[in-house]
Amino acid sequence: MAPGARTGLEIGAAVIVAAVAAVYLPQVLELFSLINATVWVSMAVLALSLGLVWGFGGILCFGQTAFFGLGGYTYAVASINFGDTTWAVPLALLMPTLLAAALGYLMFYGRISDVYMGVITLTTTLILFKFASSTAGDEWNIGEAPLGGFNGIPATPPLNFPLAPDQQLVPEQIFAVAVLCLVACYAIAKLVLRTRFGRVCVAIKENELRAELLGYDVRLHKLVMFALAGMMAGLAGVLFANCVFVSPTMFSLSYAGQVIIWVLVGGIGTLVGPVIGCVLVQMLTTYAGTLSWIDPNLLLGLVFMAAVVAVPKGLLPTASGLLARLTGRAQL
Amino acid sequence: MTTLLSTDGLTMRFGGVTAVDGVTLSIAAGELRCLIGPNGAGKSTFFKCLTGQYKPSGGRIFWRGRDVTGLDSFAISRLGIGIKTQVPSLFDGLTPMESVGLALRRLHGEAEARRRAVRALERLGIGALGHRRIGLLAHGQRQLVELAMVVAPEPDLIILDEPTAGMSADETNRAADLIRELNREHAIVVVEHDMHFIRAIARKVTVFHQGRVLMEDEAAHVFADPRVRDVYLGKAVS
Repeated sequence: MAPGARTGLEIGAAVIVAAVAAVYLPQVLELFSLINATVWVSMAVLALSLGLVWGFGGILCFGQTAFFGLGGYTYAVASINFGDTTWAVPLALLMPTLLAAALGYLMFYGRISDVYMGVITLTTTLILFKFASSTAGDEWNIGEAPLGGFNGIPATPPLNFPLAPDQQLVPEQIFAVAVLCLVACYAIAKLVLRTRFGRVCVAIKENELRAELLGYDVRLHKLVMFALAGMMAGLAGVLFANCVFVSPTMFSLSYAGQVIIWVLVGGIGTLVGPVIGCVLVQMLTTYAGTLSWIDPNLLLGLVFMAAVVAVPKGLLPTASGLLARLTGRAQL
Repeated sequence: MTTLLSTDGLTMRFGGVTAVDGVTLSIAAGELRCLIGPNGAGKSTFFKCLTGQYKPSGGRIFWRGRDVTGLDSFAISRLGIGIKTQVPSLFDGLTPMESVGLALRRLHGEAEARRRAVRALERLGIGALGHRRIGLLAHGQRQLVELAMVVAPEPDLIILDEPTAGMSADETNRAADLIRELNREHAIVVVEHDMHFIRAIARKVTVFHQGRVLMEDEAAHVFADPRVRDVYLGKAVS
């Protein structure tokens, strides 16, 4: 099958699955479960953003939550001040993109090596965590929005219809919007990887020196990929803010670590893998919380260790490999 | 003849060690120049300075008379210089067609890039390997894939760092034929220390010793010079 046709087929399949989920799940899930599902979808967008920048850009960003949290906070502050979420959303995409662009410029044009890149991005999200946690008190109000210190902004307004602040979306509609955003991010990532820019990014991940010797500006390509993934993480933050509320936890080490685990479990170098990894791990986390005979963290730790040993490439690449072997397709 | 690439007093220091010490040379259009010297003579450091991988500590590099000192590798490549590294530098997860296509996509549309990629692979005798994953290819085949990526965009000058490293005697002979053939259309600089290979292809030779140019002359004169034999045997040279 031609690569272009295959991309179209994969995007089409994702749209169908998403449409079924967006229509069917709100009818069968209770409100609490639906809100929980919306959280998972928002996290899946975050996982997808890291899957793109790490799996295809070769940039291990330990602090993808910096853009996630900044997107959420920008949305909350802007929507409280505007009294309308219409312009808060684009602003919430712009701010993490700018932060990613600035951080990426310093790292890529400063020729920072991969290990230090991980340290810098992790430090960035931890600095934002510390900062957001220390913003209690009226002096930390931005306009009418209190940053709220460790408690965050519990009064984060839900999305409203464009230019209609009185018509706020109900949880069923927010779930549908979240699913739509996930599919849109997947389709954008797929299409970007089909362009010359995307192919060069994959080539850079394979061999940075060779890509440069072919005349491609490696730093610029990495910067654009990093900023794009930062914007996706910001969108995830907006969705998360709509089903929970924004708080410093969005920048926390716990979240920063979890998103890496989701991508590892699902499979690096795939776009669907991180989404699957995210949903499965979150389902497992929720289930483990209901067990009384074992500590949930201990159970999760054991499962992750088993996953690393049993499926080191991640679930999706392993499943694809098995399927290819069963169908007798040569792996060349 | 038009001078393509030239250096003026090019110097590269690493702390207290001067790996390249005031090298001045020029490469003309259509030329096939070999840079030789024993291990540690400064050839590869000079190569990395020319190709933008090292920023020189001193001296200048000129391309068609324009000062290009300190340009990044991608900018050097865009001048029309094809670069092949000593250890094959490839995209192991891609196929030769995808890799050569990528080398061409900066200059051509997708269909034209594909057409030229097929032609480049066939020219190097690896057309049948076009859709194999590069990571699965043998060393000699990988060298040819890299060469195809370098040659396909039709650069004015090709710089090859030890192109026969790791090749069998048979593969080395074929590489010599190939380089002579490529020289009909491109100026070529070969950085090499395999004297048998140099004898097979050389016209003009520049000999490096302790970071400096020991001599530069026609191949026959260079090979007859006792100083060259001495540096290869590790004797002191005045």
